[in-house]
Amino acid sequence: MTVCPHCAAELESPAGCPHCKVPLEVPEDASLFDLLGLEHRFAVDVKDLRKRVLKVSRDIHPDFFGTSAPGVRELAEKNSARVNKAFEILSDDAERADWIVRDLGGPDEQEERAMPREFLMEVLDWNEILEEARSRTEALDPRLEPLASELSERRGQAIASIGALLTPMPPRGSPNLVRVRQELNSIRYVDRALAEIEALRLARASVR
Amino acid sequence: MAYSNKVIDHYNNPRNVGSLDKAKATVGTGVVGAPECGDVMKLQIEVEGDRIVDAKFKTFGCGSAIASSSLATEWIKGKTLDEAMQIKNTQIVEELSLPPVKIHCSVLAEDAIKSAVMDYKAKQGAGAPLAETKKS
Repeated sequence: MTVCPHCAAELESPAGCPHCKVPLEVPEDASLFDLLGLEHRFAVDVKDLRKRVLKVSRDIHPDFFGTSAPGVRELAEKNSARVNKAFEILSDDAERADWIVRDLGGPDEQEERAMPREFLMEVLDWNEILEEARSRTEALDPRLEPLASELSERRGQAIASIGALLTPMPPRGSPNLVRVRQELNSIRYVDRALAEIEALRLARASVR
Repeated sequence: MAYSNKVIDHYNNPRNVGSLDKAKATVGTGVVGAPECGDVMKLQIEVEGDRIVDAKFKTFGCGSAIASSSLATEWIKGKTLDEAMQIKNTQIVEELSLPPVKIHCSVLAEDAIKSAVMDYKAKQGAGAPLAETKKS
């Protein structure tokens, strides 16, 4: 745990001190986990995460530094932006996994892009259903809801498998990182189909 | 970002949209995807001797991905398998004036051709139609 350079209090987040009520310089290479005083691991308690973000934001929100010296104000803005970004990434399972894979030097979606043929054939099937559903003008295609449930379940399985591959945190260059990237790629296809289903639902709801 | 006239033409009037019977021994089916955007492309060829006599595609993706695959089917019809394998994504980029952010669409089309030819060759090599993996 880091301590405040001004009052030596122990800090939950190195971004600001709750006693001195000031933003603090955070090393550029501090990780997202470091920034919120968390251990590096895949499992994250989003409630706890939100609490940490709100807590540190009370000390460093730029609104409190409107009349402070420009340096302090800028640091408050910079730290707040970093903390918010960290929350955005760490609170989302897929984004957190993506960040971890990159951080550990694993492949990005350009380097590891091939998907099994059977999987892509299934993606084609989903898209065929979605295409037909879009051309229907009366009722919502009855195949959409079962497809949505199937896709949500698949997403859940992919996230569970990612959790297993990243627990304990694998070393840099581990083959597990390649497998996580493949799972993340599959989530991309699933999410795109889910987003289209949601768009169809909304379009239908607005007609009613 | 503005699409070129050729992309718009292929998008509005895609050539060779559809499916061939993938159970047939003379049909090769290629399927490829782009994880960046979730685009997926199916390209099928029907072969007589070593010549591609028919080609069909089905692409779920952006205008550039549709145009790239439409153009690819146009180009490979009548070509030999070897000639089709020579088609480079850069030729598609040039023909359609694709901007840099859409180059991956042309890569997808090149990969789809190769995947279809390889599937056809695998079927021929196996001496019989491959067992179908599609579940539906």
